This record gives sequence, C-alpha cells and structure tokens, in this order.
Amino acid sequence: MSALGKFNHLLVNTLFKRNSVFLTGIFAGAFAFEVGYDGLTDRIWRRLNEGRTWDDIKDRYTS
Amino acid sequence: MATTMFNRTAVNSMAVAVGSTLRNATRATTKAAPAQACRTVITRDGVLQNRTALMAASRFGAQQRFISSSSSSAPVGDGTTQIPNFGDYMKTSSDDTSRAFAYMMVGTTGVLTMAAAKATVHDFLSNMSASADVLALAKVEVDLAAIPEGKNIVVKWRGKPVFIRHRTVGEIDEANAVSLTDLRDPQPDSARVQQPEWLVMLGICTHLGCVPIGEAGDYGGWFCPCHGSHYDISGRIRKGPAPLNLEVPQYAIDGDKLTIG
Repeated sequence: MSALGKFNHLLVNTLFKRNSVFLTGIFAGAFAFEVGYDGLTDRIWRRLNEGRTWDDIKDRYTS
Repeated sequence: MATTMFNRTAVNSMAVAVGSTLRNATRATTKAAPAQACRTVITRDGVLQNRTALMAASRFGAQQRFISSSSSSAPVGDGTTQIPNFGDYMKTSSDDTSRAFAYMMVGTTGVLTMAAAKATVHDFLSNMSASADVLALAKVEVDLAAIPEGKNIVVKWRGKPVFIRHRTVGEIDEANAVSLTDLRDPQPDSARVQQPEWLVMLGICTHLGCVPIGEAGDYGGWFCPCHGSHYDISGRIRKGPAPLNLEVPQYAIDGDKLTIG
C-alpha cells in the first residue's frame, strides 16, 4: 500500500468511521479555521491601514 | 386429479412469471430438462436467476447469484448472452481512498458552512449591541472633590438626571438605622452604595418618571412633586405611590473620580 493509501486508511478508520467523531472534528475544524482566517484577514487589514488606526496614534492623546 | 390440477396451476403461474421477466430481461435457456420447468434468467443488472417451476412457490424459491465482472477475466455467459469484462474500466485505488476523498469534501464543506454560519450570527448579534464609541460617549466622569459634604449635585447621564450626594456621617447612620420591615422595597443601605459617603442614583421617580426634589420630603431625602412620593436619605421609597426605590446605576469610584456607566 502506498503512503497515500496508508494515510487514507488511517483517516477513514480514525476520523470518518464514527459520525460523532466526524462531527466533533468538523466543529473543532471550524473553530480552528475561524481563528486562523480571522487572524490572517485582520493582519492584512492592519497592514493596509498602517499608521491610521487608534493603536498607532494612541500615544498622542493618552498619557 | 388433484395432483394434475396442481401441476397445471404451477406451470401456468410459471409461464406468467417468465412472461413478465422476459419483457425486461435477457433470457438464457439451460440444457436442463424439462425446458419449461427450469430457466435461467439474467436480469439487466447482472443478476442470475434460476426459476424452477416444480418448486412450490417459484417467486420465493428464486436463487440469486451475483456476478462480479472484476473477479472473472473471461466473459460470462453461454453464448446467447455475453457479459463483457469491465476490469479495464474499474478503478485501481482502494475503497479507503474514495471514502477519504468523499468524507474530506463533506467535512470541508461542513467546516466552511459552520464558520460562515457562526460569523453571520455573530455579526447580527454584535450589530445589536452598542459600539465602542457610543459606549465611550455614554460614560460620565464627575470630580467628587468638588462636592462638599452634605450637598447634592445632579449630572446628566444618557439623557437622565443622576443624583450624587456627599452624605454626612449622621445621614449614613440615619440610613442604616432604618429597619427593613418598615420599607416597601426592602434593601439595606449597604446594597445601594459602594462607599457610604457617596450616594449615586438615577433621579427618576419609580412611579411615573418625574424628577424628585432633593433635600425635601418627610424623610430628609427626596420628594417627588408630581404625586407625592417620599424617599429617604438612601433613596428608598417610604411614602407615596412609587413602588420601588430610586434606581442605582452602574458606577465606579476611583479616588476622587466617579465614572457613571
């Protein structure tokens, strides 16, 4: 069996065999995806708006 | 006589059965005798069916033989019907590969849908709550050092008057001396203040929403001129139509700075 075949076999027998495990995996995956996606898009937005956000000019107004 | 009748019935029913199968199935006769009594029928989906009329109920006695085209390399059939070998067209990967792919697609769709649904609900709900700039404007800061002991001030907070009283020691003792059984809305003074010398509460009569007058009334606290509700020095209702004590807003005292909201 090829490496991919072994991987698929492992995947099917651990993650996909039981629906409860599959669904829990989907929930966990959605959480992880959201954290990663939000972090990435936030970082892009901050880079595009460098120097214009409150965090950048805060020092001028607060002691 | 009875036996003959039975055989006839059996043969007739078999003829009906064969007739109906012939309409949608390819027929292959076997060499078994009698020819009418035993037939092998291959249906479209490759199922071999032996029908023997001598069986009591031919419908229930039908045998099913499944032919897997990948398991035999030679074409199956006896000349009349030839089932081709599909081996060249069968996939070579394992079942696990197909399952892993299918479930991966389903799972990924589920993950994306879940994240999108959560984001949608979250956006709708956060849309309903006040934004940070509104909340920042909705706070009022008061310098407590400017209020002498025994004096009231009224500040406006979110369109409503807020009473702030710097109470004297005598007033604090007076508020604590009141028995809870005498109160319409029983509440100890300690539950209404964070620091006993500072009484902060909304200046709206709990009856119909008038603004009570300070340092007035029978109990030395506030008096509502609209319908004559008397509040004591802790802002608790003592006499008149109002059902509840004057409301205490959220506030924080940090040294001399009072933040309402």
